[in-house]
Amino acid sequence: MTAAFARRTAPVAALGADADALAAACHAMARRFHRGGRLLAMGTGAAAADAAHVVVEFVHPVIMGKRALSAFGLPDGGSAATVALFGGAEDIALAFSPDGASPRLADALAEAARRGMLTVALLGGGADGSGGTMARAPGLDHAIVVPSTDTRVVREAHVTAYHVLWELVHVFLDAPEVLT
Amino acid sequence: MTTESLYPFLHAGSADRAELLADVARSTREKVAEIERLRAEVLAAEAEALAGCATAMAERFARGGRLYAFGNGGSSTDALAVASLCLDPGSGRRPLPAVALPGDVATLTALANDVGFDVVFARPLAAAGRPEDIAFGLSTSGGSANVLRGLAAAHERGMLTVGLAGYSGGEMAEAAERGELDHLFVMPSASVHRIQEAQTTVYQVLWELVQSRL
Repeated sequence: MTAAFARRTAPVAALGADADALAAACHAMARRFHRGGRLLAMGTGAAAADAAHVVVEFVHPVIMGKRALSAFGLPDGGSAATVALFGGAEDIALAFSPDGASPRLADALAEAARRGMLTVALLGGGADGSGGTMARAPGLDHAIVVPSTDTRVVREAHVTAYHVLWELVHVFLDAPEVLT
Repeated sequence: MTTESLYPFLHAGSADRAELLADVARSTREKVAEIERLRAEVLAAEAEALAGCATAMAERFARGGRLYAFGNGGSSTDALAVASLCLDPGSGRRPLPAVALPGDVATLTALANDVGFDVVFARPLAAAGRPEDIAFGLSTSGGSANVLRGLAAAHERGMLTVGLAGYSGGEMAEAAERGELDHLFVMPSASVHRIQEAQTTVYQVLWELVQSRL
């Protein structure tokens, strides 16, 4: 039992080391929302739950007084085709891939980048904790990589990461002078 | 904690981009430290109970039981994740029958529209639940009426009932005291976000333990 919890410590702590990258991603996301952009969330398998969760965070904030922001999950969990169907140049593409090895979501992010969207990926996996092939997806603006190949542990760190993403986007939106 | 205390610079007037970025990075590191502390607290308080719960769950699965997971909002996505974990565990692990009740949109919207939202989980459990099954209810407040009624309906049918809650456990803790909830795990935090993060660990660790017992 102690071992099961201990396995989670380092990968989650790595998020703290990645705090500057998270802040930069949130700042870029807030700029898109400020310009009227929407968040398009993508994830399949267990990560489909995270895509759905991040949408409800933005649309129906748990903290009173925070305004609703436009966010929705792409109907097929995300693909180049649905990004092309729904994505506008002001929008944000946010993809979850706990093993960092989804060619389909890599294509979806590449399509989003081609359309001028901001691209953000929450990743894990890769032999050396590098976030797998998706970390090298063409045109990827922000990658938050959890250095673990255990996709369940990666998911747990992702939940913290997107809670922070949501909160920090609102911090930046409350300071519009830093968004121009 | 208020936004003002977390980000004093923001409220001092015109924010400087570099200082605000540094401010939010510091706040992020604090949140990461906070979830680590909460996980450690849950482990210290619940290690034995988690082991006992996993044994009881494995026993139900061994008898051919199914798991029904349910919750609202973010917790509904946790129910989906629990079902996904059971059904598609990856190679070398045993797939287990699990259903996320919030995923049955036809039944959920029919009941919500025709009867009321409080019964959306209780009704399907009353219809389908058998004594070898498991009800797995998630509520960060511990007070979601439909989750409580779902757990009560499952208990009446002799199902194993497992609840995950935050804060002090709310009404779920009262149900546990009355003996109507077999296993309750409370994440002692007042932050919905940290509660959800700790709950994710709890259900994934429970799943790992169940797998090791089958």
